[in-house]
Amino acid sequence: MTSETGFDVDKYDRFPTTEPRPAGELEQLEQAWCGPRTPWEWITATNNNIIGVYYVGAAMLFFVLAGVLALLMRTQLALPMTGFLAQDTYNQIFTMHGTVMMFLFAVPAVEALGVLLLPQMLGARDLPFPRLGAYAFWAYLIGGLAFFCSLFFGLAPDGGWFMYPPLTSMTYSPGINADFWLLGIGFIEISAIAGAIEIIVGVLKTRAPGMTLDKLPVFAWAMLIFACMIIIAFPSIILATLLLELERALGWPFFDPLKGGDPMLWQHLFWFFGHPEVYIIFLPAAGAMSTIIPAMARTPLVGHPLVVMAMLATGFISFGVWAHHMFTTGMPQISINYFSAASMAVSVPAGVQVFAWIATMAAGRMRFSTPGLFAVGGMVIFVMGGLTGVMVAMVPFDWQAHDSYFIVAHLHYVLIGGMVFPLFAAIYYWLPMSSARPLSESWGKWIFWLMFAGHNLAFMPMHLTGLMGMPRRVYTYLPGRGWDLPNFISTIGAFMFGLAVLLWVIDMIRNFRPFGPREAGNIHDGPGLEWLPSGFYSVRSIPVVKSLYPLWDQKGLAEDVAAGRYFLPGAARGERQTLVTSPLNAEPQYVLRIPRPSGWHLFGAVFTAGFFLILTIQAYAAAVVSGVLAIYCIMRWCWFLDAPHTRKTTEIGAGIRVPNYVSGPSSHGWWAMVIVLIVGGMVCLLAGFSYVFLWSRRPDLWQAPPPISSLLVSVGLLAVAGLCALAAPRAVRVARDGAVSAATGLLVLASAGVIAASIVEGRAWWTTGLQPDFSSQGASVYALLSWAGTFAAIGGLMGLYVVLRRLFGRLAAERPSTVDLIGLFLAFTAAQSIGVILLVRLFPGSGL
Amino acid sequence: MLLATGLCAAVTACADKANAPRPLAQADAAQGLRLIERHGCAACHAIPGVRWPQGRTGGDLTGVASRPMIAGRLPNQPGVMAAFVRDAPALLPGTGMPPMPLTDAEARDVAAYLYTLDDD
Amino acid sequence: MTIETPAVLSGWPPPVLDPAGPFAGPVATVAWVLFVMGAVVLTLVLIALGVALFGPPRWKRRVAGEKLVWIGGLAFPVVVLTGLLIYGLSVTARVADAPRPGEMRVRVTGEMWWWRVAYLDDQGREIVQDANEVHIPAGRPVVLELESADVIHSVWIPRLGGKTDMIPGRRNFMRLQADAAGVYAGQCAEYCGGPHALMGLVVVAHSPADFAAWRLKQAAPAAVSGVPGAAVFTASGCGACHTIRGTEANGLAGPDLTHVGSRQTLGAGILPNNQGTMAGWIADSQGIKPGNRMPSYSVLSGQELRDVAAYLESLK
Repeated sequence: MTSETGFDVDKYDRFPTTEPRPAGELEQLEQAWCGPRTPWEWITATNNNIIGVYYVGAAMLFFVLAGVLALLMRTQLALPMTGFLAQDTYNQIFTMHGTVMMFLFAVPAVEALGVLLLPQMLGARDLPFPRLGAYAFWAYLIGGLAFFCSLFFGLAPDGGWFMYPPLTSMTYSPGINADFWLLGIGFIEISAIAGAIEIIVGVLKTRAPGMTLDKLPVFAWAMLIFACMIIIAFPSIILATLLLELERALGWPFFDPLKGGDPMLWQHLFWFFGHPEVYIIFLPAAGAMSTIIPAMARTPLVGHPLVVMAMLATGFISFGVWAHHMFTTGMPQISINYFSAASMAVSVPAGVQVFAWIATMAAGRMRFSTPGLFAVGGMVIFVMGGLTGVMVAMVPFDWQAHDSYFIVAHLHYVLIGGMVFPLFAAIYYWLPMSSARPLSESWGKWIFWLMFAGHNLAFMPMHLTGLMGMPRRVYTYLPGRGWDLPNFISTIGAFMFGLAVLLWVIDMIRNFRPFGPREAGNIHDGPGLEWLPSGFYSVRSIPVVKSLYPLWDQKGLAEDVAAGRYFLPGAARGERQTLVTSPLNAEPQYVLRIPRPSGWHLFGAVFTAGFFLILTIQAYAAAVVSGVLAIYCIMRWCWFLDAPHTRKTTEIGAGIRVPNYVSGPSSHGWWAMVIVLIVGGMVCLLAGFSYVFLWSRRPDLWQAPPPISSLLVSVGLLAVAGLCALAAPRAVRVARDGAVSAATGLLVLASAGVIAASIVEGRAWWTTGLQPDFSSQGASVYALLSWAGTFAAIGGLMGLYVVLRRLFGRLAAERPSTVDLIGLFLAFTAAQSIGVILLVRLFPGSGL
Repeated sequence: MLLATGLCAAVTACADKANAPRPLAQADAAQGLRLIERHGCAACHAIPGVRWPQGRTGGDLTGVASRPMIAGRLPNQPGVMAAFVRDAPALLPGTGMPPMPLTDAEARDVAAYLYTLDDD
Repeated sequence: MTIETPAVLSGWPPPVLDPAGPFAGPVATVAWVLFVMGAVVLTLVLIALGVALFGPPRWKRRVAGEKLVWIGGLAFPVVVLTGLLIYGLSVTARVADAPRPGEMRVRVTGEMWWWRVAYLDDQGREIVQDANEVHIPAGRPVVLELESADVIHSVWIPRLGGKTDMIPGRRNFMRLQADAAGVYAGQCAEYCGGPHALMGLVVVAHSPADFAAWRLKQAAPAAVSGVPGAAVFTASGCGACHTIRGTEANGLAGPDLTHVGSRQTLGAGILPNNQGTMAGWIADSQGIKPGNRMPSYSVLSGQELRDVAAYLESLK
């Protein structure tokens, strides 16, 4: 095998080392990674072993809360025309059930599973950005709880989780309920994207040496694809929520047909996110299934490469099916046919995975302990949901089934079979890794069978109620239509499901004992690195991985790892460290110093959540204060990044030394910045799509752009700014005095340039008389300019930050990462602005 | 399902009592309930046995069988009740209750159902 | 012709599988094909699963390889799905073809939470206004022009075909045909806020001769005047929202009441229509359909209420 980085892979043969470990090494490691002792330390903890447990716990809390809402709805619908819930209460509850399940349970739950499991599976000590992970968690928890509490004040959104305008526009939803949805989703977007960055960089850069991509555990593959899909799909919902909030707060007509907007724009943006979202939820759960089934059958996954290919295919195809939620909107026939075909195609990779699971069960001997039961049961339910999915991909049938209870049945079969059951399998399977005691097996069997029966009893009859003509999202129904009996049965089933969850919660209280000195350990005889003996530092030493199932195939691995005979067996200089490896072949590259807990990310999270929530209740001054404080906290948190190292290299075992610091494309920070920029670019691209879409609806509303002279000024400024930004990383590397100052100056110039260009372009449009609330052109032009302008403003903050670091001596020529990353950001900002300006000036061709 | 069982039980239980004091010859209370549903009497009255609507414009008919008066003015007797449900304004000119499109026999069926509505 | 509402609304047999016209029939066939496909595939998967879990070793070996994944997971679905897709596209094309010239047109506008209905002449001009009911001649296709006055609604008459959305700023088309005279229940299928659950619609199909007579009658202005209820109607300001052609009531916010007495239902498909329910609706429409746009007129005296109900019911 050729080396990817120049690292001599023959050096792997030096492990396990044989010489005795130095005295005090283990104590130093334990000392560096010691767990929290005071309540404050529990709150400010960043270790993924702690945050991961919090995260899963919070997601399950929202699962239970949204489940209670479901039971309230089922009680209301048990009989026709009951008065258990008032109409507006019901409408809020069904909206919150969907929103909480999708945004506060499903996505965070699988993300949490990744945060908890990935470092263990990959043989890393922690995720590469532990404070970012903790920030994402706290923003999600605080924001999510506050959002949920809106229900108790009757302020919860009531426009459905899909929030179609114009029902959710100011005219038809004048209260702040809809704003709660829009802004409430805001911080969930932030935390999802933060988590995705963490996961992508973690999977690609912090794997144990030797874990080449073909030895990457299937769950890690799933999480990698999941995170990439978040990066592509979430920008769409970010843009959609921004546009709707702009329309609601400032009257910019994106969706109002009277001024050239179009409600269909929302549907395209929402479902371009919303359908991949389903696979975003499903893929990690499927990855868990592909991990648990082989472990429970004690045999390798049959067709592992096929399963990985299938997951990749799912990721790709899922971006081409969004409009199958819109078959009844009067789309052109040709689009309908395309989306029908794509929707059917997306079921093929799911079939590949199901048959790989069946073949694996046949190849081994399946054990029916609780994780095995949940895996098999989930698979059966998922197959049934997949089959009804094929039915609704058939357009004529969908015209009947759409928005009826048939769809309610279908989506619950897919999501419960494809995500909830696998999640429970995962909880039962992996819990012994984090808890001193496993969950009760006998209770587990009861819980499974109650849940399985309850699910089918609740949702099977809904297929029929749908065909009997019952539409979705109804707070009640008239008697005498034959819907009474199936609805009553559904309610009984829902309560059985609820009982199962209640039993599970009780068993968790009885048996879940995390953060202890010992764990129940590998009671299922699992093959992955996550089953190595571990503490808060994760593994004692980071092994060389030679197999897809290392604990099955590498004899004595656990003992050698625990004895410190592999990589990075200690904590040099008492630092928290993990090994960064190359993305393809996982060759050691450098040692990453992991930050210790601090309060700044926590305060940042509190003020970020506070900003969105206070904005919602329209206390604008307080919101601005909270927002400024959030920015301050985040800057303080960054302030300690890129700090000096006392040594240039660290010995990572067997005499191998790697650097403590790298910059440029090998560094984890560079990857994270690139991902952030992809998110920003995607939002901008979709905003550009929205601009063209709105033009195509009402070209008659489009007026001429400003004169060409101002275009030359703004594009010229941006070109200069972009060149300065690109030059800064080169300047800082020039071996001469003043290189740092020169780079600082270039970055300041660049940030001033992008800001100046934003002002010039904004003024040019304003002087044409076009205003954002005039027409869809005004709204979309100013939205694009505002997006680019926001990046310019952040670039300005970065310029200020660089100056401050220079003044305090925290910039150095041998540590160019800060300059690199800010240069990258500013160069992107300049390019994005040029793209935006050229689009609105030159399209649809009235500019020159 | 439960509802149906409960309803049957209730109807049978009440029917025993209603039979004795106020016989309505050849009237069918079950048919009366169907007529009540078909004509939407519940648009104005809350009527036990009818889930929806439960109108508030007219009086609540729970326990109407054991009240001394119809609409507070007329003696609560089978013949009067049947006449009242069919053409209330003829008996009480100021009432808001319009005449209903019922035959004599249908009106007796409706009255028979109303007489199953005891207080308990 | 009167057909009792409860029978019309009955959910059994499931209306989707009990088609009453050429735009619903092929869909019901598609549904049955899909159910059979689903049952067969599910059975095959369960058999494979059963063998994998409990089968004798000899059988287990046959399903244990990658071959199963290629055949069961890839080849089989691709063949089945391709077949279904071709079938589905052909039915789509058949059921959804564009409106043809010369077909009768009815404009149906979704409003929160009722339906404005207008019958169009050959030039697309509105000739008759009505609400919450669509009358069509049986045995020939009729085109509904679907619009919305406020938020998104969706028309769904399961026995006559699939649903089509009403989207503000757009106009969608839906072709309908009932093979036999009768009453067909429909409902709004897109969540439109508030009492969306109580936004029903009725389609009445007449024999061609009956339809011509109905249309002639419907085009005529209100035949009743001078009754006491008419004065109450005027004095209570009902005319600000409702039109009764031939009188001074010309409001446009609510349903046209020119022939309200002849409708099958009140409150958009939810109540039977007679003097009693009319009185109850007028006095307490918010109690019956909470959140709807008509206030409860509980201030009317009993006499006034009865008079106005009698007047409206006389508008046949």
